[in-house]
Amino acid sequence: MGALNSLPDEPQYVGLAEKTGFSFEQIGILHKRFKQLSNNGETLRREDFNTIPDLLCNPIRSEIIEAFFDRRNFRQTDAVGTVHEIGFGEFLLVMSHFRPPSIRLDDEQKEVIRMEKLRFLFNMHDTDNDGTITLEEYRHVVEELLSRSGALGKETAKGIADAAMLEVASISMGHMEPDEFYEGITFEHFNKLLKEFEVESRMNIRFMNMDTTTLCK
Amino acid sequence: MEDPWGTALALFQVWISILLCLVMLPAMFGLSLGVTGVYIQILVQILEWATLRIQRGRKEKPSVPIPLPNGIIHRDGGSMAQEMLEVRGSRPGGDFTLGDVFYFYKEGMESLVDDQVTQCFSSEELASWNLLTRTNQNFRYISLRLTVIWGVGVFVRYCVLFPLRITLATISVTWLVISTTLVGFLPETSAKHWLSEVAHLMFYRICARGLSATIRYHNKENRPKKGGICVANHTTPIDIIILANDRCYAMVGQVHGGLMGVIQRSMVRSCPHVWFERTELKDRNTVTNRLREHVACEDKLPILIFPEGTCINNTSVMMFKKGSFEIGGTIYPVAIKYDPRFGDAFWNSAKYNMVSYLLRTMTSWAIVVNVWYLPPMTRLDQEDASQFAQRVKSAIALKGGLIDMAWDGGLKRARVKDSLKEEQQKMYSSMIVGPDGPSDLAATPPLLDLQD
Repeated sequence: MGALNSLPDEPQYVGLAEKTGFSFEQIGILHKRFKQLSNNGETLRREDFNTIPDLLCNPIRSEIIEAFFDRRNFRQTDAVGTVHEIGFGEFLLVMSHFRPPSIRLDDEQKEVIRMEKLRFLFNMHDTDNDGTITLEEYRHVVEELLSRSGALGKETAKGIADAAMLEVASISMGHMEPDEFYEGITFEHFNKLLKEFEVESRMNIRFMNMDTTTLCK
Repeated sequence: MEDPWGTALALFQVWISILLCLVMLPAMFGLSLGVTGVYIQILVQILEWATLRIQRGRKEKPSVPIPLPNGIIHRDGGSMAQEMLEVRGSRPGGDFTLGDVFYFYKEGMESLVDDQVTQCFSSEELASWNLLTRTNQNFRYISLRLTVIWGVGVFVRYCVLFPLRITLATISVTWLVISTTLVGFLPETSAKHWLSEVAHLMFYRICARGLSATIRYHNKENRPKKGGICVANHTTPIDIIILANDRCYAMVGQVHGGLMGVIQRSMVRSCPHVWFERTELKDRNTVTNRLREHVACEDKLPILIFPEGTCINNTSVMMFKKGSFEIGGTIYPVAIKYDPRFGDAFWNSAKYNMVSYLLRTMTSWAIVVNVWYLPPMTRLDQEDASQFAQRVKSAIALKGGLIDMAWDGGLKRARVKDSLKEEQQKMYSSMIVGPDGPSDLAATPPLLDLQD
């Protein structure tokens, strides 16, 4: 009977709120979204993400979707590999990387959050988990963003990817000897590349707050 | 000892005769006794009280989550170029930087949390509870009085209103079948047309009363005329009842079996409707030609078409299929907006079948709907059918206070076309390559040299 129900899974929400930093309200909203995507099921699979047309238009959708099934993002130490389906807890954990920041944070906490977000993005591209984004993986990203047909020819896209990689190499390694081998972007290099980038403020989902006074019309 | 069957029969006769006098006779003349109006007013008072009570309850218990009917997240809403500019600090062009990917991450995550299309195919979320169990998504126990009122509401809806509505529905369908068959025997005279109109109108009026429908028609001077095509936004099969309460239309649809088939066959006896066999629907030319024939005949009733092709949840209007706009003739757009406080009219065909949908509708409070007739439109010389469709759609969305969406209603069941996926890639690559062409590419040696 509707009026007498309490919020479902409340003790579970408390645990999740502590782990992810979302408020109860935000968890409730995301839980509804989870149910919508999974058709009221308990788990989400990769195919369930294909029901979002906006996401399908995104060139890096496969990386984004993979990030949800990547165990490195589940905040368990040293977990690797991918899973086939995720429950609401894992969904929330991955989402928490995009959590809006609390205002009252000191610099050290901000740094921790920044590192977390950067690590998440790094993992998204380092698909073989060897600790570096190799030339191949980087080129893959660039090619995905550029069009494979039409406006840009394959050679041009490849050329842009190579140029970008060269720039990355020169920033990270400085001047390279002719026989030196550039393996790829490590996490430190990645960090250096994005030093001026305001990851904390750019990588956030801002939830709306409903003002109760507008309810009664 | 009393005869129980005798008393039951007598009660039943009294019940039917009350209904006949209070509902059917006024329906014949298009009058209303005002009972529904009073009912709606009482309902509004109760719902307002309930809203205030819930608000007070929220202030006392701040952990109760608040529903957000306008979307969950705050989106920047800037175009790709604007956002890239912010990210880079300079105009993007010529080369690729790692920061560019951030735009796509953010867009991807945002659409995961909240996207426009999926929201259109689920029921509109209410800002405050309207005392129906089915809309109780976030509202929890607030006070005893509220629960008691809700309980009384359940009793009234299921034990009083529901049997009344079922009876009326049965009476109306019986009336329709009998009257249209009788009218069908008459020769083709203007008297026949007039009688057929009366028969149809009575059917729809009794149906509307059966749903406690309060319909407000605006701009009646723009009402569709004969030989025209009426287009409207589609929320539920009840749209037909809502529109046909005001004037008669020629319906367009697929031939069904069962009860629907009986209704269709009897309707077509008294005045021409356009029913298609399933095989005919597959051939677009057949469909267009038949509709064109109907429209060309000046004294045939206007056709009623829903160009969205599927039911949308009445918060937005999705893409209009251009087939209806290729027929020619004058288009009379109509905007329909339901008031969600009294009952959710949206038919979520993925979740409920027709019977359970009708049961839900008949146990809602009421149907309160505004219908706006827009001035007629015709296709201009320089626009093609899809542009015309877009123009009509924007006019309807504007008048009805709905969001104008470019997405196709067919996405309810099908996937996005591949061509749309390429759009974002093309946009980004043209930004990178820029009007000056790729820079520095000729000067860099291939990276393979470094790896030897």
